[in-house]
Amino acid sequence: MLSMQHISKVFRTDTVETHALKDFSLQVNEGDFVAVTGPSGSGKTTFLNIAGLLETFDGGEYTLDGESVKGLKDNTLSRLRNEKIGFIFQSFNLIPDLNLYDNVDVPLRYRNLSKAERKRRIEESLDVVGLANRMKHIPAQLSGGQQQRVAIARALAGQPRFLLADEPTGNLDSQMAESVMELLESINANGTTIVMVTHDPNLAARAQRHITVRDGQVTENEREPKVVSQLRA
Amino acid sequence: MLGYYLKLAWLSIKRNPILSALMVTAIALGIGASMTTLTVNYMMSNNPIPSKSDQLYYVQLDNWDPNDPFDEPNEPPDQVTFRDALNLLHANKAERQVAMAKTNFIVEPDNQEVKPFHARGRLTSKDFFPMFSVPFLYGQGWNQAADDNGDLVVVITKALNEKLFNGENSVGQSLRMQGEQYRIVGVMDTWEPTPHFYDVTNGAFGEQEDVYVPFILKRDLELPNSGNTNCWKTPEGDGFKAFLQSECVNYQFWAELPDNNAKDNYMSFLNSYVMEQKKLGRFPRPLNNRLSDVMEWMKKQGVVADDAKMMMYMSFMFLLVCLLNTIGLLLTKFVGKAGEIALRRAVGASRTQLYWQHLVETGLIGFAGGIFGLLLAWAGLAGVRHLYGDNLKPDLATLDMKLVLIGIALAVVSSMLAGLYPTWRACRIPPAGQLKTQ
Amino acid sequence: MKDFGPIIRALLRNKTGAMLIALQIAITMTIMVNAIHMIINRSELMARSSGLDEANQFVVAQYGYRDDFNEKYVVQTDLDHIRNMPGVVDAIQTNSVPMSNGGTSMGLQVEPGADKEGLGVAIYMADDHALNTYGVKLIAGENFDPTEVEFRDGNTREWPQRAIISKAMAEALFPDLSPQQVVNKTVYINRNEPITIAGIIDQLQAPWVGWDNVERTMITPIRTMYKFSRYLVRTEPGRRDEVLEAVKSYLESRDVGRMLFPIETISDVREQSYRDANAMQTILWVIISILLIVTALGIVGLVTFTINRRRRQIGTRRALGASRGDILKYFLLENFVITSAGLLLGIIGSIGLNIWLVDAFDLPRIGWIYLPVAMVVLWLVGQLAVYGPAAKASRISPAIATRNV
Repeated sequence: MLSMQHISKVFRTDTVETHALKDFSLQVNEGDFVAVTGPSGSGKTTFLNIAGLLETFDGGEYTLDGESVKGLKDNTLSRLRNEKIGFIFQSFNLIPDLNLYDNVDVPLRYRNLSKAERKRRIEESLDVVGLANRMKHIPAQLSGGQQQRVAIARALAGQPRFLLADEPTGNLDSQMAESVMELLESINANGTTIVMVTHDPNLAARAQRHITVRDGQVTENEREPKVVSQLRA
Repeated sequence: MLGYYLKLAWLSIKRNPILSALMVTAIALGIGASMTTLTVNYMMSNNPIPSKSDQLYYVQLDNWDPNDPFDEPNEPPDQVTFRDALNLLHANKAERQVAMAKTNFIVEPDNQEVKPFHARGRLTSKDFFPMFSVPFLYGQGWNQAADDNGDLVVVITKALNEKLFNGENSVGQSLRMQGEQYRIVGVMDTWEPTPHFYDVTNGAFGEQEDVYVPFILKRDLELPNSGNTNCWKTPEGDGFKAFLQSECVNYQFWAELPDNNAKDNYMSFLNSYVMEQKKLGRFPRPLNNRLSDVMEWMKKQGVVADDAKMMMYMSFMFLLVCLLNTIGLLLTKFVGKAGEIALRRAVGASRTQLYWQHLVETGLIGFAGGIFGLLLAWAGLAGVRHLYGDNLKPDLATLDMKLVLIGIALAVVSSMLAGLYPTWRACRIPPAGQLKTQ
Repeated sequence: MKDFGPIIRALLRNKTGAMLIALQIAITMTIMVNAIHMIINRSELMARSSGLDEANQFVVAQYGYRDDFNEKYVVQTDLDHIRNMPGVVDAIQTNSVPMSNGGTSMGLQVEPGADKEGLGVAIYMADDHALNTYGVKLIAGENFDPTEVEFRDGNTREWPQRAIISKAMAEALFPDLSPQQVVNKTVYINRNEPITIAGIIDQLQAPWVGWDNVERTMITPIRTMYKFSRYLVRTEPGRRDEVLEAVKSYLESRDVGRMLFPIETISDVREQSYRDANAMQTILWVIISILLIVTALGIVGLVTFTINRRRRQIGTRRALGASRGDILKYFLLENFVITSAGLLLGIIGSIGLNIWLVDAFDLPRIGWIYLPVAMVVLWLVGQLAVYGPAAKASRISPAIATRNV
């Protein structure tokens, strides 16, 4: 699904050169649920931005769904993001002026879909996150957990093969975090590949795979905890 | 997609009502000022007779002082003498031609209840009416015989016909002017060419004449001079006839020349005419005859007032300030939209799509500014009409459909231009950085 | 001035906003300077004296249209009557009056001959009551004698033997002579017809207010028989309107084959004559006023935006010990720097536009004094516009620095 080989990324200012990623390699398979942890400044956000095609990289190879993305034009990257990737952010990033229906509609608007098809998908994905009855509300009228569910609905509406979540529960209390996590797990169970950045070890432990980023490189953690958690579940 | 962009634009405008109102106000003020002054300029430079303005030529002959041109540098006089006007008329070398002068009459109505009143008069020849496509309500112009014999015939305007005959067909009726009985042969329909192109030496935006009579009556009835008269030497001998034979210019002459060939032929005719006259001891200056079509003549005579031009340039600079203002305010506004732009980029909007979204937004603001601006221009023009009063024909300060469309287009295009840089800057922001925190 | 360095550096990092304001200021100054220049230019034109006793005069035009209109008789009897009416100072028949924009001009030359240069002069035709009716002062020579008044019709070519000219005309003809010396000099009209200067008056304008040589006038002792003529009546101070009504009913009561045009006071004539200039002044004032408001609003908008973006930075500065006054001073100084940059551009723009206007429209050059005045005005507008948002910024709590937004 996602394959990164020897990726490097350097940030330059006038005086300083920072190697955010160096020789970063990672293979994510179809249907995986990968948790990414790491101390702040380790490069996990850079990894996520590159994986989500929001940022370019300097060296190495990145293949997404069998297609090398190196040197693609901005418009092609936009199309790939739109068709293949769903994003979930810590701060939800809903558009405050738009109601839930229109928020979920945003990615669909950049595809040539009929009005009826958009409507079907929006209603379906809002139904999945349990907010179908609040379509006309605006984000400010919802709790944080509900807002994040809308963001998830927005990501699902595009029917992406690949979901990128950046601290999806970071702004939520534990109860809400739990329900969002359960939602992600059920999405993954339906076949969507998920990569989730988190600093919560408990959440990370619930993922199928758990990797840690340190100084711009990957360390794969043993699978044991996951088995344990599965047993416990 | 346009529908979606319009919806987003509307939401965005609603979100920052004060900022949006400031931008609409700035554009409206700029458009209001520009359209007010543009209207006056546009109307002043209007083509008064578009169907044949390139076939009608104003004739200038240089009969002036050998020591001193009529106007620097070597411009011929802006009118012709009576004898030249008459000679050219009789030569009949153009498809049509007309000799004219301004005059004044006192009309003494048969109806004793209407007191004698002053009427603006035009001495002219028969071709005036077909040549300038004058519309008739009743009757028509006069014929060659009337020009030759100096018949007492008159064409009156619709307004005068209303005043004297309650708008009824007055052809065949008589009209008493300065002691003579004239026979009405035609009543014009409404006809007010703006500018008053056929005699701009007496004011390009003056009021239309009320009565039109044969040119030769000038001589036969010794009608007084009216309008600008310029002489470089004193008439030789006494009496009115001597004045008519003099080198004083007070008459306009137009020729209808359908193509360049006709124009060239007419110019050769004018030159040979002047050469003939030189043998009589006239035309002491070198050959310097001119033919100018309607728009060339308007331009030469500076029909668009300098004041109007200067105010228009000032207004357009004012619009520029308003647009700079709008650029600043849009920058402000779009910075607040960085989060939304980043999100749209993340979920797959291309830069082009975002440019369009924001250009539609600025276009919508421009459209609103244009509508309000036109309202301001409408009020501004009412103010202009009030300020200038009788000095400005009201139709010079009136918006027409074309100007309304120009105003809206100007507002939309200029605000979209103003939006280009802020949009470019907003859409250039890398999305990754904006998504992490609010 | 310790803030100066940081302000410049901050401005250089955020060029666009500052440049926009500076450009606005520059164009605003360019328009303002040239518009005020035009306004003052028109004011100077309007402030010129016509030479008349304007508040106490009116003019009425007549046109004799019937065969039985005996102009010589009618005018003489009218004048005799009007001159004896109560409240009337004097009255004349004349071909034209100052500011009416219609009249006669001829060339006068010091030496006879077709090849000699003539100076254009506006000609007023009136009898020996002219000076008293116009309200002009004779500064040299003498007035006409009633016996030398000639009658002139449309076909008369010759001019009277004597004329009275304005001081400006005397100076134009004889630059080296005093008015007293010009009296009894001979000048030539129609190239070689001699006229003797009988007297010099202090000032009287020609009928055309837009004429460059509007002060060059000549009064000739003529009563016209053109069928069309005007009466100019001068009344005792404050009695104009009452006398006007009396003259009107007197003239209307005579059935002599003439048509009377509506009576106009000289104040009306002036208003009519300068209406365009007045209108242009008003329009330019409106443009300048709105322009200043738009510029001020633009500054308020952009400064508010800058401040909102720097809230945290301002809070931090406050937390680190900057006083409210320091914050306020910072923004005022920042605006001063931007405005000054704009004004420098504005000086170039103002002069550039003026050069173009001089070239294209024969407008006079601007006086240098306009530049510093406009600069001070725009500095003040800038400071006033920035004061509100800056005062608000200075009230930002230092606690904001520690808050997570």
